[in-house]
Amino acid sequence: MIDKTGRLLVVDDNRMNRLKLSGVLKQQGHTVLTAENGWQALEMIHGQAFDVILLDIIMPEMDGYGVLESLKKDSSFRDIPVIVISALDELDSIVHCIKMGAEDYLLKPFNPVLLKARIDASLEKKRLRDQEIEYLKHVSLLTDAAAAIEAELFEPDSLLAVRKRKDELGRLARVFQRMAKEIHLREQKLKQEVQQLRIELDAACQAQRVAEITDSDYFQQLQSKAQDLRKIIDGS
Amino acid sequence: MSKIICIHSFRGGTGKSNTTANVAALLAAEGRRVGVVDTDIQSPGIHVLFGITGKEIAYTLNDYLWKKCEMAQAAHDVSGRLNAEVRGKLYLIPSSIKVDEITRVLREGYDAQLLTRGIRQLIDELKLDVLLIDTHPGLGEETLLSIVISHTLIIILRPDQQDYEGTGVTLEVARKLKVPDTLLIVNKIPASFDFEDVKSQVEQTYRCPVIAVLPHSDELMSLGSGSLYCLRYPEQALTEHYSRIAATLLA
Repeated sequence: MIDKTGRLLVVDDNRMNRLKLSGVLKQQGHTVLTAENGWQALEMIHGQAFDVILLDIIMPEMDGYGVLESLKKDSSFRDIPVIVISALDELDSIVHCIKMGAEDYLLKPFNPVLLKARIDASLEKKRLRDQEIEYLKHVSLLTDAAAAIEAELFEPDSLLAVRKRKDELGRLARVFQRMAKEIHLREQKLKQEVQQLRIELDAACQAQRVAEITDSDYFQQLQSKAQDLRKIIDGS
Repeated sequence: MSKIICIHSFRGGTGKSNTTANVAALLAAEGRRVGVVDTDIQSPGIHVLFGITGKEIAYTLNDYLWKKCEMAQAAHDVSGRLNAEVRGKLYLIPSSIKVDEITRVLREGYDAQLLTRGIRQLIDELKLDVLLIDTHPGLGEETLLSIVISHTLIIILRPDQQDYEGTGVTLEVARKLKVPDTLLIVNKIPASFDFEDVKSQVEQTYRCPVIAVLPHSDELMSLGSGSLYCLRYPEQALTEHYSRIAATLLA
């Protein structure tokens, strides 16, 4: 069964708002941490993983725009859904935040049912995005493994995580690794069995065969004509 | 001065024609005027590698030897058939593939001086930089003549006891004929061999320079003379070997 709870960060400079919002979210089963300004929020995000961020816009020191801009610039955090918390008279600010990449918005005072629906939707989106990111990462591991085989640098353990997948990609990784292992073993065996060239010539037999040719009339005639023929070739 | 290079092997199946055709194509691609004479009158075949069919061949080497045409008339310009940018020219002088014409040459033989003069005329008329002679395996009369009139003799051998013995015989005969320059190519070497060791052993055994140790190639076998390897696989290691052979021959 899919866990519908998440690890959330509430960012608001108003203590009462923080307490109220985090209280409701905790009641819904989520793990909730709070930050009272943008700097503190970014510090926490760099140190811990969050599934959703609930972000106030108007805050001292660093406001919500600053936090949003910083998150969207960083590939490690740009996929964390951000829900903007705002008052109804800040509609322009909400539009601006959505354009900057915010996932959704929540009007103060918030409705618990609406809050739950929006958090659930954001968590689901985050979960699907995480799966997609992991899938792409695993595809990349497989293509890297193919390049490593060509460069004779393949490490079997590099596919450990991909092999554990239960989907078609996992099966591909298992088959790939088995074939790579077989090739590796075959190459190792070949290297161990590097063959040495052994040339053995029977001098007497060779001399006899040479004599059969050089004693022939044709050879004798050719040998005597060789100089003339070379003169024709060299135009001299 | 134009250079005549005889590419030979004591036994068949060593890759002589493939090597000749690929080296010729690379030389022509780089801007040289190249001629290839198929003196394998008994079993001609190099024309297939250049995509020429029997029907397209008007005059052959046999026709020249029977004075039915001039040597240059038997030269077929195959530069356009390479499907590649060719800055020079590539001419093929094929042997006849007609059974009666093959048996006639074998029965009656031909005039060595006539062939020699024909080759000289060919070089002059086509302004050739290089003429490659693809021979019949063994040491028959036509092969001995090709060896005598060449500036360089290249003997191709495989890692095979019969090839080792035949190469020894050929080298000895070539020395008696005072061929100015003799070189070896070791072909079809399996990956399990140490290539440097192969080169060293062959050079020591025959007291003759080895200019290339070529790997066995499944791709080459798969082509089955359908086209030239160097054009189909320009990036492969074997093509790089052919290029080095071409550069060595002109050095």
